[in-house]
Amino acid sequence: MSDREIITSKRTGDSCIHVKHKSGLDVYIREMPGFSTVYALFGTKYGSVNTTFKLAADKEYTEVPNGIAHFLEHKLFENEDCGVFELFARTGAQCNAYTSFDKTCYLFSCTKDYTENLRILLDFVQKPYFTKENVDKEQGIIGQEIRMTNDNPEWRVFFNMLRGMYHSHPIQIDIAGTEESIAQIDADLLYKCYDTFYNLNNMTLSIAGNINADEILAICDEMLRPCEDKGLETVFPEESDTIVEADIREKQSVGASIFQLGYKCLPCSEDFLRKELTASLAVSYLTDASSEMYNRLLTEGIINASFGGEVFAGDGYFSVIFSGESENPDAVRDAVANEIKRISAEGIDEKIFNRIKKATYGDLVRQLCNVTAMASAMINSHMAGYKAFEVVDTVSELTAEDALAFIRNELLADKTVLSVIEKI
Amino acid sequence: MNYKRTEFGGNIGFTSVVDDKFNTCSIRITMITPMNSDTASNYSVANNIISDVNSKLNTIAAMNEKLSELYGAGLASSVSQRGDMQLLSLNATWLSNRFAIDGEDITAEMLEIVTDCIFSPLADENGFDEDIFRLSKKEILDIIDSSFNNKREYTLIKAREIAYKGEPAQNGGNGTREAVEAVTPVSAYAAYKKLLETAQIEIFYVSPEEAPEVQETLKAKFAAVKRNSQNHIFPAPSPLKSEPVLVEEEYDVRQAKIAINFKYDIDDVDAVHLMCVIFGGTPVSKLFMNVREKLSLCYYCACRMSEFKKTITVDCGVEKANIEKAEAEIMNQLEEMRKGNISDEELQSALLALENSYASFGDTPDSYSSWYFGCFCKNEYISPKEHFERLKAVTKERIAAAAANVQLDSTYHMLNKEAE
Repeated sequence: MSDREIITSKRTGDSCIHVKHKSGLDVYIREMPGFSTVYALFGTKYGSVNTTFKLAADKEYTEVPNGIAHFLEHKLFENEDCGVFELFARTGAQCNAYTSFDKTCYLFSCTKDYTENLRILLDFVQKPYFTKENVDKEQGIIGQEIRMTNDNPEWRVFFNMLRGMYHSHPIQIDIAGTEESIAQIDADLLYKCYDTFYNLNNMTLSIAGNINADEILAICDEMLRPCEDKGLETVFPEESDTIVEADIREKQSVGASIFQLGYKCLPCSEDFLRKELTASLAVSYLTDASSEMYNRLLTEGIINASFGGEVFAGDGYFSVIFSGESENPDAVRDAVANEIKRISAEGIDEKIFNRIKKATYGDLVRQLCNVTAMASAMINSHMAGYKAFEVVDTVSELTAEDALAFIRNELLADKTVLSVIEKI
Repeated sequence: MNYKRTEFGGNIGFTSVVDDKFNTCSIRITMITPMNSDTASNYSVANNIISDVNSKLNTIAAMNEKLSELYGAGLASSVSQRGDMQLLSLNATWLSNRFAIDGEDITAEMLEIVTDCIFSPLADENGFDEDIFRLSKKEILDIIDSSFNNKREYTLIKAREIAYKGEPAQNGGNGTREAVEAVTPVSAYAAYKKLLETAQIEIFYVSPEEAPEVQETLKAKFAAVKRNSQNHIFPAPSPLKSEPVLVEEEYDVRQAKIAINFKYDIDDVDAVHLMCVIFGGTPVSKLFMNVREKLSLCYYCACRMSEFKKTITVDCGVEKANIEKAEAEIMNQLEEMRKGNISDEELQSALLALENSYASFGDTPDSYSSWYFGCFCKNEYISPKEHFERLKAVTKERIAAAAANVQLDSTYHMLNKEAE
């Protein structure tokens, strides 16, 4: 029996259970009686950026083709006997998976037989089955997925911006790779990546809803095969703190031109949550819909309600992105730069900052009553290196001075990339 | 959970759901009016204005500051269509009072904002405030223009235009770009006043605790409006074209897309519903398993049903060179269903997927309002469980009969120029 840790929010009193299972797996459980849905995520800290890696016993680093984490995600959905969709179809659960820059997650959502669905989830992710035939078959499907995303202007404007921002970090590479890179993938390479990253010591199970923790842990005992921690090490090429290109434009068949204005910040080596939340509050301050800048740009027809900002950060990368629709993105870039200059000189209005903190608190509290959001929050926080609910507590500790220091020190004019998709 | 529906009189329904597992409250006020090319865009612009400002919070900045102060409360408008009806909604969500750190009465403040938006918009005898009107109109035009940014969505929009050509449902809830261009502050405000008087109105309030003041306040406010509203009927079956129509357009895109419209004229809606799920509604459906998994032709191939228009649309993203092959397989799978080639597993997995979906009813505040609004549209108030029991009774024969009734109506191809 593995030890249970109860994690509780100081601010709201909400709690969840964390267990470091004897197999090596981290398990997060949030019992939410009264809800019908159960939502589970079984994920590995393996995403599109992890293209160079080695285990402690390896002498050399292995480099694999771009898009392989995503390809592997597709292929795990095929068992030796049948497809995984068919297994879940027998219980009625909805299942899916996704690959991001830094993680791959397999998930189900159900309203009955959650124990059976959990068994299926834990079983199929631990049972890879890759053959030449089923790998070849997938090339066509993923090729169409790549073409579909290449027709998505939001996707193009984002990756163009990342390519303008990062010299060598693999964050600039499309999650699904390219039709050329996936053509290099074969069954052996998939097994190599699977054996490296799908070690339970590198994985997390997060489950929320109308569940019983004892039942979940008993199924973990039954289904999880203990894994030896093999000392996984992933590396990224050294990344300069300069940008590659300040202005990138592409013409596409679109109805409305869109832009992303990115600020390259210093990657975070410690206290990731604090830096991410500080940046997030700073962005909310800068894009506040009651601010003078926002309303001037809106009135002048330069932005519309789609204007907003976000923090985009992970292993070896950290940036702030402003985005929206605009036929005059240069004016947006100038306005944001001037606003950063003004705030850096004049300081932050504490009253506005506290109002933004209050709205952020409201958003976080709302998530606590959402089964899907809770399961996602638990796995995301664990993989990012902080505790579930810590985000609610940390927000209340941040000050206007923290946000001001971030704006002054990290949002620098020479680290700006403007990416635009213009109408043909 | 405590559900209650009452009538205010004047063709206004109020549904209240109290469920103590939530920590948020929400109000959705939906005005229902027939889709009409002369009025749709005026209604849409007006509906957009009333969620941006009101006579007290009379700038976008003031409104956003207030909502942010109320723990990031949400206030938004939306427009959609169902059958030949236009639905114009004002949606508000906020944190329950018990989570207010400073003890604010968030519900009372939000109720005041919502009622001011509806009954005291920023307007005078010259119509809506010019500045807000200009921004709001631009926003609707931007929404229409940006629909082309999402190629799958745009393909479905084109398919709808072709399927319902000449019918009120041809254009989306916002109307055409040209019609929006013609809207003025005066015409939009006049339309809004008419809408408030004539629309059929359904209100949904979902909350973790009883709040009788919400119902009382809204009832009193609506009682002051001189109402002249008719009941609307949602079913508006779209007639099958005498010959199937094909429309092709070329764009600078990397992937071609197809959307195929089918029409039916039977009333066995439960059989059609199940037919759609088995045909293309899940990852084990006939379309997914064959067009995607067996033939590797696409990433997605799915079907959706418009119950009130009696229309089914299949859509798929493929190589231009494979369009014919994909369409042949889609028709082949439909033919299989017509022949009754439906396995026990296919039927069972469709039912289980539906059961799973129905059983999640009540896990979000929105699921309550959506379900009960669906009941209102069909004029049939049943629980998800009761509806599922009815679906369970559908036989393979009924499903095959539904598939046999489905006829090809029209097809839209978005073609990529590069593949020439």
